[in-house]
Amino acid sequence: MIPPDVAPADLSIFTLFWQAHWIVKSVMIGLMACSVWVWAIAIDKLILYARTSRAMDGFEQTFWSGQSLEELYRMVSSRPAHSMAALFVAAMREWKRSFEGGPRSFAGLQMRIEKVMDVTIMREIERLERRLLVLATVGSAGPFIGLFGTVWGIMTSFQSIAASKNTSLAVVAPGIAEALFATAIGLVAAIPATIFYNKFSSEVNKQAQRLEGFADEFAAILSRQIDERA
Amino acid sequence: MRTGYTISAIGHALVLGWGLVSFSAKPFEAPPIDSVMADVISESEFNQLTAGIRTAQQVAKPAPVVDKIGEVKEPPKDPVEKVTTKPEVQMTAAEPPAPQPPDIKPPEPKPPQSRPPEPQPAASQPPAADPKPEPDPIAEALAREEAKRKEEAKKLEEAKKREEARKREEARRREEARKREEVKSDLDRIETALLDKRAPQRQAVTGTMVNPTPSLGATTGTALQLSQDEIARLRAQLYSCWNPPVGVVEAKDLVVTVRFSLNRDGSLLGEPIVVNRGRNALFQIAAEAATRAVRRCQPFRLPASKYEAWQEIEVNFDPIDMFRG
Repeated sequence: MIPPDVAPADLSIFTLFWQAHWIVKSVMIGLMACSVWVWAIAIDKLILYARTSRAMDGFEQTFWSGQSLEELYRMVSSRPAHSMAALFVAAMREWKRSFEGGPRSFAGLQMRIEKVMDVTIMREIERLERRLLVLATVGSAGPFIGLFGTVWGIMTSFQSIAASKNTSLAVVAPGIAEALFATAIGLVAAIPATIFYNKFSSEVNKQAQRLEGFADEFAAILSRQIDERA
Repeated sequence: MRTGYTISAIGHALVLGWGLVSFSAKPFEAPPIDSVMADVISESEFNQLTAGIRTAQQVAKPAPVVDKIGEVKEPPKDPVEKVTTKPEVQMTAAEPPAPQPPDIKPPEPKPPQSRPPEPQPAASQPPAADPKPEPDPIAEALAREEAKRKEEAKKLEEAKKREEARKREEARRREEARKREEVKSDLDRIETALLDKRAPQRQAVTGTMVNPTPSLGATTGTALQLSQDEIARLRAQLYSCWNPPVGVVEAKDLVVTVRFSLNRDGSLLGEPIVVNRGRNALFQIAAEAATRAVRRCQPFRLPASKYEAWQEIEVNFDPIDMFRG
């Protein structure tokens, strides 16, 4: 029996964390770290996608502005390029390599260029998709981890009930509150992770399609050139 | 990635800091709710609670609650008046004799057939009454004939009687049903006649002085009682200080009842007294343990507002209770 004049537990976030069992504590810390990580990735990806899409817009504009391919190649290849520019550089490099060694058969050139562009697209998509799996994992596993902390916390709070032989709200409530806190953190980490994952995967799809479209167009242009020269 | 981490970490730190500030209330500070003791009180106990004392001082009559000043309305002098002004209840024309209260039943005529037919003395008498020893075949035959005839006549009579009784029973039942009906309709009539058909309204209580407060109760009612929670708390406190003798056989003989008085601050007033006596050899040890517990436990945490209820306490120290938890 708890004497009546014992002050009830202070339930600030800090004490909620501090009074918890070490397992619950580690769950909370882990989920907190997950949350930080998720948001870091999200911010990073937001910036990356915005930049990529802007770069694509800019490159497409210059590409269709009627500039000669040679000139464009010289301009783009001077600095490291991403996405569409990388695609263009890869294809052009293959093209040039085939022509530098004197006129040879153009039979395999078309295929080679397509292969090179495919590889570049894959590499680009891989770059865009990197760490999105973290978001997916946190989004699906976060609530479970939080729930584990909650179950553990409630277990310990029941043990404390058994020890004090008292079931009044004052005894039960702090333990349960601290246990639920773990689930709350899990949800806090998981909800943004899920939302961002969905948003980003659709974004990656969109950009990949755009890259593929450009690759097809560029391959068509190059194949026309090959046919003209052959 | 560096920017992402920085922004994310700063954001989380901000949210946590805000949570520390805004979430630090003590939302679970609930005062213990006293559970209500369900007690059965006997009539004599209630009488004792409310009994006056012959030598008590005359206390001024408590003023009644008054809403506004006005003439004091006396209660109606003749409470019967209202009843007499009612229009007389009209009975129906074909009114049977005064309705009997329903619970008084007319005396039940006993069904005659339930009585065993009494042996007719005439039938059994001839052989017994006839002291003549000589056998008289004619007389005997005559007598037999006579007996037979009588028997038949009796049978006939009995059948008639039974028929009659059945008829009477039926009539009685019909009569009863009619009466019951009548009583019921009478009751209905009376009830409608007694209904108060005035619109209900509250009248301001008028008096010579406005007095919005009801009279105060006694400052220290003797009916003050510790709640179950408080009793349980006190008991838990006492038991936590108590080291009962362990490993004792016949522990139920070691129930020690201790009486002690307390000061208003919960400290002990005087010495605790062991009230009962036990036959067990170890009783003395148990009693000492109990008094020691009382001494060790002071000050007792009890509500000061109910001091009258706990200034003298009698506690049972029961080892069985202790080990039961």
